[in-house]
Amino acid sequence: MAFDVDKYTATSVSVNWADLDLERFREHPLPAGSLRTLRYMADVEYHTVCYTRDLLTTPSHKEADMSAFMTMWNREEFWHGEALATVLGIHGIIVDFDEIKADRLKLGWKDKLDPIKQSIAGKLVGTDFVAVHMAWGAANEWSAITAYNRMAELEEDPVLAELLKRIAKQEARHVAFYTSQARDRLSKSRKAQVLARFALKNFWAPVGSSIMDRTEVVHVMGHLMGGPEGRKGARKIDAAISGLPGMEGLTIVEDSLNKLGVPA
Amino acid sequence: MTFANGDSTVHFPAGSDRASPARFDVRAFARTAKGNHRETLRLDEFTTEPLSGDSIRAVRYLARLESGTMEQLRNLLVTATHKDARITAFLVTWAFEKFWVADALDAVLEANGQPKSHDSTEGLARRSRVESVERRGPVLRAITGLIQGVPIIGVHVTSGLVDEWITRAAYNRLETASANPALSSAIATVLAVKARHVAFFDHEARERLADDPRAVSLTRRSLERQVWPLGAIDRSDDDRSFFTSFVFGGDDGHERAAEIGRRVAELPGMDSRVGDAVTRKLCA
Repeated sequence: MAFDVDKYTATSVSVNWADLDLERFREHPLPAGSLRTLRYMADVEYHTVCYTRDLLTTPSHKEADMSAFMTMWNREEFWHGEALATVLGIHGIIVDFDEIKADRLKLGWKDKLDPIKQSIAGKLVGTDFVAVHMAWGAANEWSAITAYNRMAELEEDPVLAELLKRIAKQEARHVAFYTSQARDRLSKSRKAQVLARFALKNFWAPVGSSIMDRTEVVHVMGHLMGGPEGRKGARKIDAAISGLPGMEGLTIVEDSLNKLGVPA
Repeated sequence: MTFANGDSTVHFPAGSDRASPARFDVRAFARTAKGNHRETLRLDEFTTEPLSGDSIRAVRYLARLESGTMEQLRNLLVTATHKDARITAFLVTWAFEKFWVADALDAVLEANGQPKSHDSTEGLARRSRVESVERRGPVLRAITGLIQGVPIIGVHVTSGLVDEWITRAAYNRLETASANPALSSAIATVLAVKARHVAFFDHEARERLADDPRAVSLTRRSLERQVWPLGAIDRSDDDRSFFTSFVFGGDDGHERAAEIGRRVAELPGMDSRVGDAVTRKLCA
């Protein structure tokens, strides 16, 4: 079913947590390992606008629907960052913009060269490149939903679970956008399928890999996708990706977990 | 990763962005962002008092400019500006608010029996050699951005400020020219939203220009050759010419352009040479 952008923009809101008793964390703090995972998630959410950059360097942004979606999507993700930062704040972990800036400044040359590489690839490949972005985005958003739901399940804290479920619910609409775009664009072009498959198979890594230290990636993946239950979630993401035209049989999430040494 | 000691004096999430009190509070701005305006627009009144052709054209042009945020974001994000989390946090909400400003203008167009700005055909863009530098794509922008580094942020926030002055002049001119209470009310709504954008750019621009000679020299060069308003480069040649004569034509218009030039000249590190260049560009 086609994604209704007008309906999405009309109903896009910042995630609400005013009715949740986050103060209870002062009495019942979350364990350090969980806070570490939440911190990773907050950083990734705040970083969304930088991922937007990669989308914008290719022809995709020239369409009004795409612009509208990206505007709302960016804002929702920013508020996910704010929600998680609030939980962290109650635990005495301060996430402020100046610190995020310091982290971004450490990213170095790869980060600086990325927009150039993206733009050149986008120019060479043309509109089929948009399909690659959409498939990539779908994989990332599926991962986000799985991660949030899994964390809600693991934590067994009713307030955190509710907040994470609200976030995951918004991510589900992002998935709907990316998959409807990816399906549409991939089904129309064999070349787009070949490119997307190649890019996902060779370059995809768990969300956050490009901005966080490897030790943090390993921690978060081990926490949320390790063990038999975690792996089950990972396989679900792979199955969803495999359902996109031309992506049959891809196991990029499991492969990346194996590469990171995350126990099955 | 910062793990503060576990005492109970948590600075966050009180909502401030832990900065000096004078600093624009990006978190408070995000929290109070203004979305859909359709409920408060007096759209019915256009049935009895429709807008003139020129006013409709100006509204359409402004709607297209306001919705061009993703083009602008791209140009900013391929440079060091994307590193500044405070600026990117602002830009996320700025884009959201501008989306709804454009939607409000689209609602005005629809109430006047016109298609939305993006649904009507637009003429061909202007092709001028002088402007080719402003037409540069993300690759060139990213490469020059690498060389320019962090001072480029000064250029971006100052251009944002001057652009706000220019569009404000355009809205004011449109209001006077149309003499239509429903449009005046819509414009008041739009300008109230944009007032906070001006406040952010104003504060950032003055701060960055005040203590960075490199930002000053990059900004001087950029303001002199910038195509105004931001995003006009992608708009049709005909519409650009119309906008120039509508807002900055005639004696009144020239005075409006000169006033903007004077304000540019008063910014830290700028002078009448830069101000006059902006004025000339606005009237050309």
